[in-house]
Amino acid sequence: MDALEVVEILVFPGLTFFVWLAFVFEWLDRKTTARMQGRIGPMLAGPRGILQPVADFFKLTSKEEIVPQFSDKLVFEWGPPFFFAAPAIGTIFIPVVGLNAIVSSPYDLLFILFVLAFSTLMAGMLGYASAGRFSTISIGRLVLQYASFEIPLLLAIVSPAVAAGNLSISGIVQAQSNFHWFVFVVPIGFAVFIVSSLAELEKPPFDIPDAKTEIAAGWMTEFSARPLAYVKLTESLSYVFLSALAASLFLGGTAGPVLTNVTILQDGIYLAYFLIKVFAIGFAIFAIKTALARVRINQAANLFWTVLTPLSLLQLGIVILLR
Amino acid sequence: MVENDASEDSKKGMKVGGALGEMFRTAFQRPITKKYPFGAAQVAERFRGKLDIDPVKCTGCGVCEAVCPASVIQMVHTGTRKVGTREIETKRPTFDLYTCISCGQCVDDCRFEALRLTHEFELATVDKKSLVMDKALKVVN
Amino acid sequence: MSDKGNNSPISGEEGSAKREVSAGLMQYSPENLMPFGPVHPALHEPEYFKLILEGEVIVDAIPRIGFVHRGIERAAQDRTWIKNIYLFERICGICSFAHSLSYVQAIEGILQFEVPKRARYIRVIVAELERIHSHMLWLGLVGYWTGFDTLFMWIWKDREHVLDLIEAITGNRVHKSYNTISGVRKDLPENISEPIKREMAYIQDRIRYYRDLVSREETLVVRTRGIGKIDAETARKLCPVGPLLRSTGIARDVRTEDPYAAYDEIVPEVKTSSQGDVASLLTLRADEVLESCRLILLALEKMPSGPTKLTAPRSVPKGENAFHVEAPRGELFYYIRSPGGITPERVKIRTPTMANVLTATSMLKGYTLADVPVVLTGMDPCFGCMDRISVFEVDKEKQWSVRGEDLRQYGISHYKTKKL
Ligand code: SF4
Ligand code: SF4
Repeated sequence: MDALEVVEILVFPGLTFFVWLAFVFEWLDRKTTARMQGRIGPMLAGPRGILQPVADFFKLTSKEEIVPQFSDKLVFEWGPPFFFAAPAIGTIFIPVVGLNAIVSSPYDLLFILFVLAFSTLMAGMLGYASAGRFSTISIGRLVLQYASFEIPLLLAIVSPAVAAGNLSISGIVQAQSNFHWFVFVVPIGFAVFIVSSLAELEKPPFDIPDAKTEIAAGWMTEFSARPLAYVKLTESLSYVFLSALAASLFLGGTAGPVLTNVTILQDGIYLAYFLIKVFAIGFAIFAIKTALARVRINQAANLFWTVLTPLSLLQLGIVILLR
Repeated sequence: MVENDASEDSKKGMKVGGALGEMFRTAFQRPITKKYPFGAAQVAERFRGKLDIDPVKCTGCGVCEAVCPASVIQMVHTGTRKVGTREIETKRPTFDLYTCISCGQCVDDCRFEALRLTHEFELATVDKKSLVMDKALKVVN
Repeated sequence: MSDKGNNSPISGEEGSAKREVSAGLMQYSPENLMPFGPVHPALHEPEYFKLILEGEVIVDAIPRIGFVHRGIERAAQDRTWIKNIYLFERICGICSFAHSLSYVQAIEGILQFEVPKRARYIRVIVAELERIHSHMLWLGLVGYWTGFDTLFMWIWKDREHVLDLIEAITGNRVHKSYNTISGVRKDLPENISEPIKREMAYIQDRIRYYRDLVSREETLVVRTRGIGKIDAETARKLCPVGPLLRSTGIARDVRTEDPYAAYDEIVPEVKTSSQGDVASLLTLRADEVLESCRLILLALEKMPSGPTKLTAPRSVPKGENAFHVEAPRGELFYYIRSPGGITPERVKIRTPTMANVLTATSMLKGYTLADVPVVLTGMDPCFGCMDRISVFEVDKEKQWSVRGEDLRQYGISHYKTKKL
């Protein structure tokens, strides 16, 4: 591994880039949601409040850390960085400039699935470690929700892979150049993916594990200061990660419809395509989550098992037949 | 008695995301949030804010002290006054406005129209004493 | 989604979400006790509900009231009749006008005052404006409780229009301080009828939209329909008041049954709904807002001219009186006894939440934890008005009252022993 690769992984287009993207995403989320609800949203830190998430992060890190008496101290204090690591590692498999990601292997998607499962597992561990009543209930809901959305999510991720005949994300992106986007090939898979990612992200209508009017902050209730800052950052990073994943798997990622073969600024154009698609998916998720009420856990499980799982199976069948 | 018929509601058919249209409309409207304290806050004509006294009009009758529900007002002896041959003590009110609930009862009952409620409402302060209004004491009569 | 044919992909299960639970107070261990309150994001006032859970299903719910008891009934005995108006207004911020209205009308009864007609009409207008803003507050909060923050923000955004009207008429958005014994303190401001008509048209328009939205947005409907169901029979036994009662189909409203202010001339239509669940409370409250808008416009049209108050004496003759009004949350009851002097001897207040809290708590059994905020707050609780305190030792069956100083000492020693 040479120095350039280290810079790529840690700075651009790797970790640092995605963390900043996460901050921007959180700001966009707050701002658009606010505007759709008739409010202003963040407005003080930076131009139009764009630095508000950053300010929140640093403010949280500087606060006093309260560790509950009966918590599992080791997991409680050291879990959040691991929780953060899950989506952070996932992002390096996603092509941001050029059609190849920094790291690319023939088995990318398997690793991505592991990352998604690991992040839920970490959330569960963190919640149990904090040993609160709200956390315990929340973990029950989290696990049930995970059990229901995982299958549709998995099948939805697999269908573009089948369409491309490739398990590597870079390979899937390359298969979509020349405007051969998989959203037209596997539209149902795309829809299922978006709905399942709402559940993975714990956003309405599936913000059941941290439903604030029922169980306070759910599994995050006992967290404060630095661990909370990490947890919050991880949430926005997962947001970006899943949007980037959706963009890469279904919308062609860095591959654009036009301007695919100019010599100058080719990397810039790739990056621009990527960002446009990620933000487009982001806006779609913002809109959906703003427009819906939270469902009950049994209703969510019902929806995933009786509607989305058959749909994603159907999609997979269609894709296999078409190939 | 009018029944709101629930079965009629359910006939209309359900939809998911019924709020989307209105959401986009709202997003392009002006936000309702008022940018106070960066912009001025508007209050109604009748708004009941901080109490103010006109020391010249006040005769020290003490009605306001009797009616105030929040015990804001104390009458203080300020001296004596000669009426004919008798010496009468004069009193003037002081107002501990930090307990004032701006109800306006004293304003209603002051027959000499010495009191009024202003539109001022930014009364937060670190020094409670700054909200004691004893203007009326300082006027020599 | 109708009651028989259930084809919603989200709700799935046939019939209602309610599950059968074993009756009676079961033995419970601390593990399945879930505290709901006193500090909880769903409750905007401190109140503690012990929820006994079996998984997510609520087996039992025990309310524990008294966190914000302020001793107002006692405090009233030391204050003059006029001062008490402002005290009782502060029992509740939302229905402050209903409190003062009930109180002053009780006094007017003892004094045998004929309140000027114009004042009575103005009282109707302000009381109905208050009902609108209270109902809109609740409608928005249902959005918040079910995680539909957008609805919450929108309705509260529109509620500002009503609050601005109230401020223009009475001088304050919350504590209106508008009633006085024998009438209202000021006449309506000049040129107010134009803004009132404009805002009423706006509110009616918006409420119609929200009524449609809440009865059609599927994610909201599956969270509210069939939840917190109570039938007329149970309602008769548990005696809830206000919209909670009317939602079961029983048309009871103090405004029509025992008209006060000018409700004998501006007759409201009593809205009811037959389902008795949270969804029907939503549409019912929306209907009541529309009805209130109609009443306000009607009162404005019929408004006679004349004085708005008489001169009230400082002392009230010996006597007693009880009065009730229809506050936004239901029947609000005041009893006053005058010894013939400038202070009351006893004031007893029965707020609507006091009548509703047991109903709402008993409605919880069998539903899941996710339904708690919606069911519990379906009655539009106002715990501040409700709190009572009485101290008794269960084993000795002894009851006594404590002084503030004793309580303070108890609190200090309690925290010292806990080393907090
Ligand atoms: S302010 Fe008015 S009521 Fe009070 S003492 Fe002066 S004159 Fe009397
Ligand atoms: S406004 Fe009310 S509380 Fe304030 S001084 Fe006057 S009577 Fe007392």
